[in-house]
Amino acid sequence: MAHGAQDFHEQPLLAGDAVRRRSDGTVRLVGGECQACKEKTFPLVFVCPECMSEDIAGIELPDVGELYTWSVVHVAPKGWTVPYIAGYVDLRDSVRVFSHIVGAKPSELKMDMLVELTTAILGKDDNGPIESYAFTPVRR
Amino acid sequence: MRPVTVLGVGMVPFAKYRDKTLAEIGWPAVKAAIEDAGVSKKDIEAAYCGSALGGMMSGQRVLKQLGITGLPITNVENACSSSSSAFRQAYISVSAGVYDIVLVLGVEKLTKFGGGTLPLEKEDFEVTHGLVMPALYGMRAKRYMHDYGLTREQLAGVAVKAHKHGAINEDAQYRNEVTLEEVMNAREIADPFTLLHCCPSGDGASAVVIASADKARQYTTKPVTVACSEVNSGKYMTGFRDMTTPEITVRGASKAYEEASMGPEDVDVAEVHDAFTIAELLYYEALGFCEKGDAAKLLEDGETSLGGRIPVNPSGGLLSKGHPIGATGTAQIVEVVRQLRGQCGNRQVEGAKVGLTHCTGGGISGFDHGACSIHMFSV
Repeated sequence: MAHGAQDFHEQPLLAGDAVRRRSDGTVRLVGGECQACKEKTFPLVFVCPECMSEDIAGIELPDVGELYTWSVVHVAPKGWTVPYIAGYVDLRDSVRVFSHIVGAKPSELKMDMLVELTTAILGKDDNGPIESYAFTPVRR
Repeated sequence: MRPVTVLGVGMVPFAKYRDKTLAEIGWPAVKAAIEDAGVSKKDIEAAYCGSALGGMMSGQRVLKQLGITGLPITNVENACSSSSSAFRQAYISVSAGVYDIVLVLGVEKLTKFGGGTLPLEKEDFEVTHGLVMPALYGMRAKRYMHDYGLTREQLAGVAVKAHKHGAINEDAQYRNEVTLEEVMNAREIADPFTLLHCCPSGDGASAVVIASADKARQYTTKPVTVACSEVNSGKYMTGFRDMTTPEITVRGASKAYEEASMGPEDVDVAEVHDAFTIAELLYYEALGFCEKGDAAKLLEDGETSLGGRIPVNPSGGLLSKGHPIGATGTAQIVEVVRQLRGQCGNRQVEGAKVGLTHCTGGGISGFDHGACSIHMFSV
């Protein structure tokens, strides 16, 4: 489990309800699981896109996944610190999550490598730093 | 359902028209299409206007300039597929016998945003987390390079080809050839793309007049027939999705070919949605012009260049002709119709009898693309 405690401050994470911060400072992603058909989503939704049931439970998603692909982004809307690495992470037996990839040089990334959840400051807007969840290569 | 014919086409050169309003950009394209069709403006029974970011009542704002008012005007938004989706609606209305002569237009003014990446829907979760279109396509490219061994040089070759074609199209926004080195060494946008891998931001308008085949006989002896009209939405997927296979285009192509009773081998010329270099390669495969993994070879062999087996984007495509997004779909139709009529001068695909246009609109979470339109035309 990656730690994001060094980034901890009072401002809510950008992802809002999609991220749950535990008392030890670590975070988990919160997705939805349809109680009728077991379809999973990220972020949490109010109705199941598979069976239209509204009986959706918030579940903590796996905090490790595989990096499906990524791109180093040099041009982005105001607020983001560029360059940043955008990627898609496939969580085990679950959902695909769009995420910033942090804590690694682009040259260190490999397709399908294991990455784990963390938090990071990704930019700055009028309200201060933009902090959200991110993934970083598993180093062990 | 009855057969439908394209009677007239028109467009304004894609460019940056900072000092013009959307309406001022739009009307010359409409006037050109009406004159090309040889109809009177009073003959037009309905109009469909595609614009993604033009704002409310784009169609009325353009058409009032020409006094084409009082008829049913329907505005259609489907991102980059806006005007091709509008064309589909017009096609249905004529094919179903509701109207005989209908106008379709696409219009966009992106310079009002001042440049940079296309503004996407801020309610979308991935967009709020920093997804931009170059990154989305860049991620597709990276995975394709990994899975199929595509090189950066091969990818850059798409831009070289696009500019070679666009350089001889007077309607193109960028009429300059570029070298492989210039593409490779341009400013970085989103890995593996430099600036020249990305379609430019710009403004423009295009328009098409269609009619029932019966009605068209009053106006032309050389009709261009609409062989099929397909618009689909993407499939929303929460989990794994193969980003090297544009599923919506694969699905749409299958339906389009079935409707036209034709296959990819019948296509003589195609305008496809090359918003970024990788897109054109993915669409060679999705449209069946080559097998999966063979797109770079098809390009390198010159098969998709003017003079090749199946020239793709003879207009210069989105990369060189430009991509004022709502205007792109009907502009592709303008090019293909002109190709089938033999009106394209030094970029003419000799003997073209069947043409295909393909336009996708994307940029929302969980979809390959939000929308995709495929049309085929024949003479």
